[in-house]
Amino acid sequence: MPVTLGTSDRRSGGSRSLRLCPARYPVPLPAALEAMTQPDLAAIDAVGIRRIYDAKPHDVVALDGVDLRVPAGEFFGLLGPNGAGKTTLIKILTTLLAPSAGSARVFGFDVVEETKRIRRIMNMVAGGEQSGYGILTVREQLWMFTQFYGLPASDGWQRVDELIDVVGLADQRLQRVGTLSTGQRQKMNFARGLLNDPWILFLDEPTLGLDVAAARSVRGLVQEWHAAVPGRTILLTTHYMAEADELCDRLAIVDHGRLLAIGTPAELKRRVQRGSIFRLEVDRLDGGPASLVALPGVISATLAVADAAGDTASPRQTVVVNLALADDAALAPVVGSLGPMGSSIVSLHKSEPSLEDVFVELVGRGFEESDETTGDPDSGTRRAPTVAEEPHGTEPPAPGDDRP
Amino acid sequence: MSAVGPGVARPSGPDPVAGALGSRQGFSPERTRGGGTTEAWRTFATAVRLGWSMEANWTDPALFMIYSVAKPVSAALILVAMLEVVGGASTREYRSYVVTGSALWAFVTSGIAGLAWSILDDRERYRMVKYVYVSSSNFLLFLVGRAVARALVGAVGAVITLAFGVVLLGVRFDPMAVDWLALAAVSAIGVVVVVSIGVLMAAIVLQTRQEAWSYSEALAGALFLVSGAIFPLAGLPAALQVVGLLTPLAWWVEGTRQALFADPVSGIGGAGSAWETITGSLVPDPPTILLVLLVTGGVGTLIATFVFRVSERRAKDRGLIDRTTGS
Amino acid sequence: MSEVDTVRPAFRRLGPDDPRAAADWGRRRVLATELRSVRGRAYPRINGLLREKSWVFFEILLPFLTTSAFVFVYRALQAPEEFVGFVVLGGAMTAFWLNVVWMMAAQLYWERDQGNLELYFAAPMDLMSVLLGMAIGGLVMSSSRAIAVLVIATLVFGVSFSVDQWALLLAVFGLTLAALYGLGMVLASLFLMWGREAWHMTQAMVEPVYFVSGLNFPVARLGALGAVAVATVPLAVGLDAMRQLAFAGGETYGLLSPGIEAAILVAMVVVFVAVARISLRSLERRAREAGRLTVRWR
Repeated sequence: MPVTLGTSDRRSGGSRSLRLCPARYPVPLPAALEAMTQPDLAAIDAVGIRRIYDAKPHDVVALDGVDLRVPAGEFFGLLGPNGAGKTTLIKILTTLLAPSAGSARVFGFDVVEETKRIRRIMNMVAGGEQSGYGILTVREQLWMFTQFYGLPASDGWQRVDELIDVVGLADQRLQRVGTLSTGQRQKMNFARGLLNDPWILFLDEPTLGLDVAAARSVRGLVQEWHAAVPGRTILLTTHYMAEADELCDRLAIVDHGRLLAIGTPAELKRRVQRGSIFRLEVDRLDGGPASLVALPGVISATLAVADAAGDTASPRQTVVVNLALADDAALAPVVGSLGPMGSSIVSLHKSEPSLEDVFVELVGRGFEESDETTGDPDSGTRRAPTVAEEPHGTEPPAPGDDRP
Repeated sequence: MSAVGPGVARPSGPDPVAGALGSRQGFSPERTRGGGTTEAWRTFATAVRLGWSMEANWTDPALFMIYSVAKPVSAALILVAMLEVVGGASTREYRSYVVTGSALWAFVTSGIAGLAWSILDDRERYRMVKYVYVSSSNFLLFLVGRAVARALVGAVGAVITLAFGVVLLGVRFDPMAVDWLALAAVSAIGVVVVVSIGVLMAAIVLQTRQEAWSYSEALAGALFLVSGAIFPLAGLPAALQVVGLLTPLAWWVEGTRQALFADPVSGIGGAGSAWETITGSLVPDPPTILLVLLVTGGVGTLIATFVFRVSERRAKDRGLIDRTTGS
Repeated sequence: MSEVDTVRPAFRRLGPDDPRAAADWGRRRVLATELRSVRGRAYPRINGLLREKSWVFFEILLPFLTTSAFVFVYRALQAPEEFVGFVVLGGAMTAFWLNVVWMMAAQLYWERDQGNLELYFAAPMDLMSVLLGMAIGGLVMSSSRAIAVLVIATLVFGVSFSVDQWALLLAVFGLTLAALYGLGMVLASLFLMWGREAWHMTQAMVEPVYFVSGLNFPVARLGALGAVAVATVPLAVGLDAMRQLAFAGGETYGLLSPGIEAAILVAMVVVFVAVARISLRSLERRAREAGRLTVRWR
């Protein structure tokens, strides 16, 4: 299957970059915002971004020619394993890191030359962030940051109190930052990220290390904030597939510093869906899955859970088969053939491809098999210094990698 | 088929999990008991190695010289300049006194700072204190080991400052006149004394915030006053002289001077001193110095250990072990 | 109720409806932001002092004892009484230098290790404002220490000051602080670039600077070295001028006249602040290129 690289939306003529996802917003688009959305103004416009880190024994290519255009108002995700280059891209867009080559603009402002302007309208929140001064209370810590964004003192206190209530830290407002739990700390970080009412918010693994409830809370807040005002743009990096699937309007699959594909979650999944996938559970299957392959419209039939068929310790002895069919119509002959074979259907589900499938299709390996053990210049800020740093950017493509 | 779960067969050989944990029998209750001297030594040696790795993380020899030499030499030069400003015959004799005192102080300062900074570094920067604390290692022993490298740098600085004083500042030194045995004994006890003050400082910074970096130097500076390091205690008001007589550092400095030089100016005794008033003798003799150093050092070490334990308990009660501060 | 009302107040748009307009700040707003940033960064410093008062003991009482030790050295040598005044004034001024070295020069390096630096860089204010905020926060402590040492030492040791030119003395004091903190800003950016080695440099910058500054003795006694120090080290020139102005009438062993030394301090302020500005910008540019802004534990 051909893979469309980074500039997929551009190839579609750029018109999608003007989409403001109006259906998501409960409020009408302000006139000024509509006026703002000139065809050439995207929230993010990156062209040919490369970033190389000096490292021993050889340099690390963290980003290898990234083209990305994110329209204003979009919730955009970068999905990839550790070391893929996600955080490096965020650092470049947040003006913390200069690209080795290429150019990037945020709302039209150059990330190298117009840093101050970008900083006025953006903010960022990273998962596992431990910044701040432990001696201060939550309220004071946030107020300090309002001063960095130029809010008058009293407005700053008011803004802080509003956000503390919104993120659910009312009981911790006078608690010292150094004593917060991980979840509370991340909520405080999220409140910090909203202090200046950014036009674009960069979220770098915002739910990293959070429990289910805290992660859900953070995701809910992010969605609500994004939906509250048209034009607010979010760039989220994550390696949680479900999070990307749930939150993002569009996302890009990233690996080894390259954007492998861009699209809505549904579009990306469709790319790997070559037919209809069914999960068929029967009480017995004489002749095994091979007996189904010969049927018309059956592309493949594979045993899904080996132990279920043969493990004597299993409470139910069933056979589970993954069926790939040319289309849904091919299911009827399969079902019809089971009776004569003496098999009874225990369950039958239609399977939708996941983003994991998309990743496997594009990269040739799953997330779990990805470069966990290799160095990640991105995550250097959140790791102990003793972790071995090994460059990965120059590794040969993984088997099955269909990158050009 | 194995009952441990689908697809997982119990291996017939040695238990790999137990092997990975270092025990052929898997978990052993013995491991929860005290580790004895072998484990204590291992903790200490590991901490020393770690401390040295951190100190030697910068390997520029020029910087090492600046750091380990310029600091104590400058401290000595300040005092020498003060003597020169005043002038007069007595300043010549006094020069050996202040150079020796400030050289020894290089070790005192780095010895105290080493322990305190280990806590600040590991708690605030590397955020490792909690992991060390919950490990089976002896926390205090680890801290002492961690501080050895810095103390060594201080010791090198002290020796170089003394050498600088002898070569360039006219400090009179005769190697044949050195009482090496007494020097070894006094130095050994002195190391314990300095470490115990460091332990005391560590107990304090366990309770304070990140900006406590300069506290150890402040304490070392204040101890100048009552240790006879740069002027004889006899110059102090009587009450402060008594405080000085109870300070093991004063006896360590005195003992070191007595061992190094043939006829040094006494920092403890002298005409009109509290020592003379109390004991009737003008200056303490070497055995007395060693004995008092041993007693005051022993008491000081016990107090420091006790204070550290109290501080440690309080830190645990208040959740200070894994906090970060900063302002 | 309209749909707009369903949006929480905290989530409503604060500024203009156009991101480019929102990014376009006038000079007045930029200046206000810089000033507020100074206040914001000073806030934790001052609050930290109020919250944990151990510094009163360690930053006031103990340094006073250190200063006292040097007084007793002069007393033991039966030195003229004006020398005691020199020690006391030097003891007071060391507070500011220690503050510059520990809480400013090494601070950016420290902030990076704590993860704060990238948030500073990501915010729209100038890093100079952050450093100034640190300085002002630290000044509260340093000034308390300096005043305490001066007052207590004056009372305990009977130091008598004799000031003829109050205005010049205050001006020299203010200029000395400005030059010291300007130098602190320069060092902060240099230390950040040097990484861990800088951390050790902080320790090497205390006693040697005290020595060449003539901490407890007239810097003129150092001859050529003293002259070089007066021309380059704010503490040296500031102390020399202040000694002459605070103990007017007696023998003060001044190297240059206070007026000339004040002019040197003015030049130092200009140079250090300009160099700090350039070096901070250069630091940011180089750090962004090298990817060092956010790499910890170097």
